[in-house]
Amino acid sequence: MKPHCAAIFGYNEYSKQIVKQIRGVYENVGVFVIDEEEFLEAQNDGIVADRFDLSDNWQSIEAQFDVEGLIVFCALADDAENVFLTISLRATFDKLFIIALAQDNESMMKMKSAGADKVMPILQIAANVINDILTKPIMTQVLHDVLYEDSLLSIIEIEVKDASPLNGQYLHELHFKRDFDLILLAIVDQELATTFSFASKGHNHHIDAGDILVFMGYTEKLNAIKQWNDGVSV
Amino acid sequence: MLSRLVVNTAFFLHTYHPYQRSKIFFYNLLENQHYQHKKYFDIFMMGLIFLSVYILIRSVKHELPHGWLIFNNYVISLIFFIEYLLRFWLYSSNSKAIIEQYESDLFLHRPFSFSSALKTIFTQKMEYVFSPTAMIDLLAIMPFFHEFRLLRIFILFRVLKLFRYAKSLRRLISILSSKKFEILTLIVFTMIMIMVSSVLIYVMEANNPESKINTLFDAVYWSVVTIFTVGYGDLVPVTHGGRIVAMMIIVSGIAVISFATSIVVSAFTEKLDEIKEEKMIDSVHALTRMYLVCGFSPLAHEVIRKLHKRHIPIVILEKDPNKVQQARNNGLLALSYDSGSLHTYSHLKLDFEHQVEAVILLHESDVANIYTALTIRELTKNITLYSVLHHPANRKKLFLAGMNHIVNTHELVGMMSKIIARQPVAFEVIHTLRSEQTSTIVDEIILDADMKDRFYALLADSLFYQRFSVLGIYSTREKVFHFNPHPDMNIEPGDIAIVIANRGLIDEFRTKLHRRGKL
Repeated sequence: MKPHCAAIFGYNEYSKQIVKQIRGVYENVGVFVIDEEEFLEAQNDGIVADRFDLSDNWQSIEAQFDVEGLIVFCALADDAENVFLTISLRATFDKLFIIALAQDNESMMKMKSAGADKVMPILQIAANVINDILTKPIMTQVLHDVLYEDSLLSIIEIEVKDASPLNGQYLHELHFKRDFDLILLAIVDQELATTFSFASKGHNHHIDAGDILVFMGYTEKLNAIKQWNDGVSV
Repeated sequence: MLSRLVVNTAFFLHTYHPYQRSKIFFYNLLENQHYQHKKYFDIFMMGLIFLSVYILIRSVKHELPHGWLIFNNYVISLIFFIEYLLRFWLYSSNSKAIIEQYESDLFLHRPFSFSSALKTIFTQKMEYVFSPTAMIDLLAIMPFFHEFRLLRIFILFRVLKLFRYAKSLRRLISILSSKKFEILTLIVFTMIMIMVSSVLIYVMEANNPESKINTLFDAVYWSVVTIFTVGYGDLVPVTHGGRIVAMMIIVSGIAVISFATSIVVSAFTEKLDEIKEEKMIDSVHALTRMYLVCGFSPLAHEVIRKLHKRHIPIVILEKDPNKVQQARNNGLLALSYDSGSLHTYSHLKLDFEHQVEAVILLHESDVANIYTALTIRELTKNITLYSVLHHPANRKKLFLAGMNHIVNTHELVGMMSKIIARQPVAFEVIHTLRSEQTSTIVDEIILDADMKDRFYALLADSLFYQRFSVLGIYSTREKVFHFNPHPDMNIEPGDIAIVIANRGLIDEFRTKLHRRGKL
């Protein structure tokens, strides 16, 4: 089930930005704070936050959200507490989609071991961006616009459906650039499913239902291939 | 009348550009350690010194060609003499002394005192003439008077001139001069020891027919040889009294040597940090290009780790000595300086325009970053400033301070959260490409107008087809990104292609793109 509600743990500068960005994306966004200070800060910002502790009592979460369609952001200021929160949530909810923030690579490994689905290593992310701005400014700007801004260009990941014309074809038989004005960036083989491989590796991959393809292109073209994949004639 | 003429001449010289330019040139050549061509002058002068000493040694047992002696006695001496005169000229400014005297007298409504100006000039010049280095310079010219055979030995004073040209020797002198008092104490102590022991040994041994120590000179020679623990054994005491004196002197000699060693060692230990700092400043000054990182935070460490791949030297300015030490432990070039102080940059003599590629402000507070930015903007408007932003409320202030690019980690995390939640695979793909964790990377290729045919032909080549993705071409003139460019699209000089491929394949593409002739 696609997530339709989100819970953010911790209220700090990072959480504020997460709330700001995802508010319009999910039907229900909840903020959970661990101490009084964060609670008051959220209140000052007009956000109704709920209290939680690091025990295994997650009744308030279950009461407030449909856990099957919930995405969780572990954004506590302290990495150790964040790891503990992640492992506590994973211990209780097997299928919960957990995104955790980590200060550095070391904490990132711990978050992954604790069961986070995705980890954002803050220092590495910032360092990558600064390095990119310095060394590849144009590329950085283009990718920034594609990912984060409302530009005509966008990026999309589509899952190949059973009825999709893509199902059963070989990658080299398809000409996405020519026929769809799209660039295929990567592909996730559902049989291997561990990670993605870049399209530019040149493998003549056999596309099966369940594979995920990542495209970049103009929004209208992306919508077109999405519909085509869904079996709608374009 | 004469006073008027002198003042006018002084003003003329003070404002006459060719004169001032030549003075600056010679000052740079002789005195300015940071002048790029000074090292060649120093090497030349050192070459002359070694040549001079070689000729002296060779002349002891060999007949030398006349030309060599002429060169040694006249040419080298003349060069040294010209150098001496230049230093004499540069040491103080006569025109400035006259002008200062004139203005002072004018202010106090007195007639210009030429004699006072002359006195000032004379005092300043004599200060130079009697300085140790100038005296060595003068003695080094003496071999010019080679007819006086004894004066030939003055060639050895030329060796002392090496202190002028070799930086390490100058540094040695400056280190030892910090222990002037201790060295003086040691010298006085040693001289007293030598005097006392010489007299004692003379008294004990001089009247003994079996003893070789017969004169006071023999006694002094024996004392010096013994006190410095050399002990040739050519002169030895034979009386009981003499031997007792010898035992005392030997013990005292060890004390003298230990004292001398400890002075030198402690001087070096105390100055070690200073020496290291000086060496670092020298190495910074020698850099032709660099990234200047202000503030050594955990983020700075991470940024530097990534930037190292660019093979452009990175210089860190950090006020906190512990952080500086931490950076140095990581093999980084870190200087313990306040990046927000103008004094720092004047001391380091940084040439922002020619040496610094970009300044990256990574202090852990916006206040420090803004302060540093304003300091640097006072020095130059042309350098690109990058800064991390800690509190979104300070964004405008950072721009006002002159930042060109601002990175806010909180906003980045917020924006990433949105995409990671909606399209986790797509996010992972872009993040992996940018972090260069695998061999497939996203890169920029700068294009030229005449590359168009070759560029599109290469894309169709079997080596690159299916394995080399061109996301688009950024037109630098139009400032527009053309996604998935059609082979008809025109390419202008400076346009940038953004490509995704294996790192090695991108290098191969670049090579083939720049190669002339058929594919």
